[in-house]
Amino acid sequence: MMQKEVYIQESVRQWKDIIAHHLNLDIRKYERTLNKFNRGGLFLFAFFLILALFPSLFAPYSPTERFISYESPSTAHLLGTNDIGNDILSELIYGARISMMVGFASASISTLIGLMIGLCSGYFRGTPDELLMGFTDVVLTIPKIPLIIIIGAFLHPSILTLILVLGLLSWESIARVVRSKTLQIREAGYVKSARCMGFSSFHIMASDIFPNLIHILLPKFMLATASAMISEASLSFLGLGDISMKSWGIMLSFAFSRGGFIRDMWWWYLPPGICITLCVMSIALIGFGFEGGKENEKRGVDTE
Amino acid sequence: MSEMVKKTLRYAASFFLIVTLNFAFPRLMPGDPVKNLIGEDVYVSEAVMEELRAEMGLNRPLYEQFTAYIGDLLRFDLGYSYHLHSPVAEVLRERIGWTLLFVGVSVLMGAVLGTLLGAYAGWKPETKVNRLVCCGFIALSCTPPYFLALLCLDIFAFELGLFPFKGFYDVPTPGSVMYHMFLPVTVMALFSASRNFLIMRGSVIQEKGQLYALYARAKGLYNISILFRHVIKNASLPIITLLALDFGFLFSGALFTEIVFSLNGMGTLIYDAIIGKDYPVLQGSFLVIALAVLLANMLADLLYAVADPRVRRPT
Repeated sequence: MMQKEVYIQESVRQWKDIIAHHLNLDIRKYERTLNKFNRGGLFLFAFFLILALFPSLFAPYSPTERFISYESPSTAHLLGTNDIGNDILSELIYGARISMMVGFASASISTLIGLMIGLCSGYFRGTPDELLMGFTDVVLTIPKIPLIIIIGAFLHPSILTLILVLGLLSWESIARVVRSKTLQIREAGYVKSARCMGFSSFHIMASDIFPNLIHILLPKFMLATASAMISEASLSFLGLGDISMKSWGIMLSFAFSRGGFIRDMWWWYLPPGICITLCVMSIALIGFGFEGGKENEKRGVDTE
Repeated sequence: MSEMVKKTLRYAASFFLIVTLNFAFPRLMPGDPVKNLIGEDVYVSEAVMEELRAEMGLNRPLYEQFTAYIGDLLRFDLGYSYHLHSPVAEVLRERIGWTLLFVGVSVLMGAVLGTLLGAYAGWKPETKVNRLVCCGFIALSCTPPYFLALLCLDIFAFELGLFPFKGFYDVPTPGSVMYHMFLPVTVMALFSASRNFLIMRGSVIQEKGQLYALYARAKGLYNISILFRHVIKNASLPIITLLALDFGFLFSGALFTEIVFSLNGMGTLIYDAIIGKDYPVLQGSFLVIALAVLLANMLADLLYAVADPRVRRPT
């Protein structure tokens, strides 16, 4: 019996070691960097993710079902109803999916573009680098939200254009970070030996450099998602969102423009705003967490 | 020197791109270019439309249209808003001063506040107060600026009645203007400070581990003077870059804040233009904002050279 327990303990430690060895991460260090902050972020994020994936489990009514309008909170409608009588709590829960979808979809697009441009310009250096980085700098100086406003005003608002426009206009910072990291990695021994062995540039970029970029791409991706969600909310506020898909931003905008604010219906305009803030914060905290962990390590090396 | 040339080239390219985008939008977007140029809510007969088409030269080749457009720009002719019945340039001239004042004051206040608080928080990141402040600023930076503005408006203006709801002034005196601007400027300054704070905090945490900080301590300097005389100089370099890059973002944040506080600046102009599909005004505003951001970037580059002698000195 005694023997067995020891054996089990031993095996757990072994497993930890094996995992740490194979995944190249020190679990104890990981646990340390995963401080209270980020655990809160992860928890919140998981909560919103579940809301977004299975809204029908939580929402008491369908978001399009209509009741008496402008009702105050009661047991039947925990957050009251809006101007056309939809239950605000249900709307809020169904809005999670749309807001998060816009955020993640446009962040994916921008991360992909940023990754490709950064990789190419960092790997090939020379003229392509000058051109691509020049282009990046030029795009960086153009103010995004006014540009999105003008494009959104010309095109008729739909969720797809919103995602595309947000995605296509926010890749610059990712491209710059990826480029500087690629410049470092391409001088590493394994990249040089892969070149000597005659692998194609594409193969080297995809299988030697890309895996080393993931840990900087992930936080950038999270932060891009966060800022895309804020932009979406802001654009929806101006009436440039897709009215058929009620995101939190559109709820807030309706509350502002259709009398929720004047009537002092805090249960209408506060929840979507708080949800946006919390959701963006959870995503950003996860991003900061990744970044912070890496920074700590680097500093540790520098000071030693 | 070649850096300078490169920078100038980049600014020229950005300028060109902005102008070209502005030229291309009404012509490329779906719908009738005439409609796109005069705005969608304007009702005109077919004959007038043809007349306008000829007058704007939309049947001429593109490069001729482009040169004509550049010529118009050089004469500060940004088109005519049929919605507001006045030239766009005039409408913008009335509004932009207020917005620039608003943005300028809040960006400066935000920069000072964010830098000082961030420096202190980075110097002693482990104390409870600094952690709390840090959490607060992270939360602020994650809030959409207009939501923050709505909250402030609700709490301070509606509930407590401390501040007026709308407008820049009742009577055009500095006192009244300050009274009206206080709340929006506070909101924007907090928002801008939150971004500077996070960068500054990280920057100071990194800088204070450097050897010169250790040396200053070995000389026997007090903490405060190490921080404010040595560390802050180096740590604030990223802030200057950030200020320039963020200017566009803050500018757009200011637009939303203006809408919430019903300030009669660019924000409300753009809001009305979106609702009325008044494209000339939108385009003009975009052009002006983009140029303002470009100028801010140039200014930041100059500032950077002043603040960091390494940039000035050719290596």
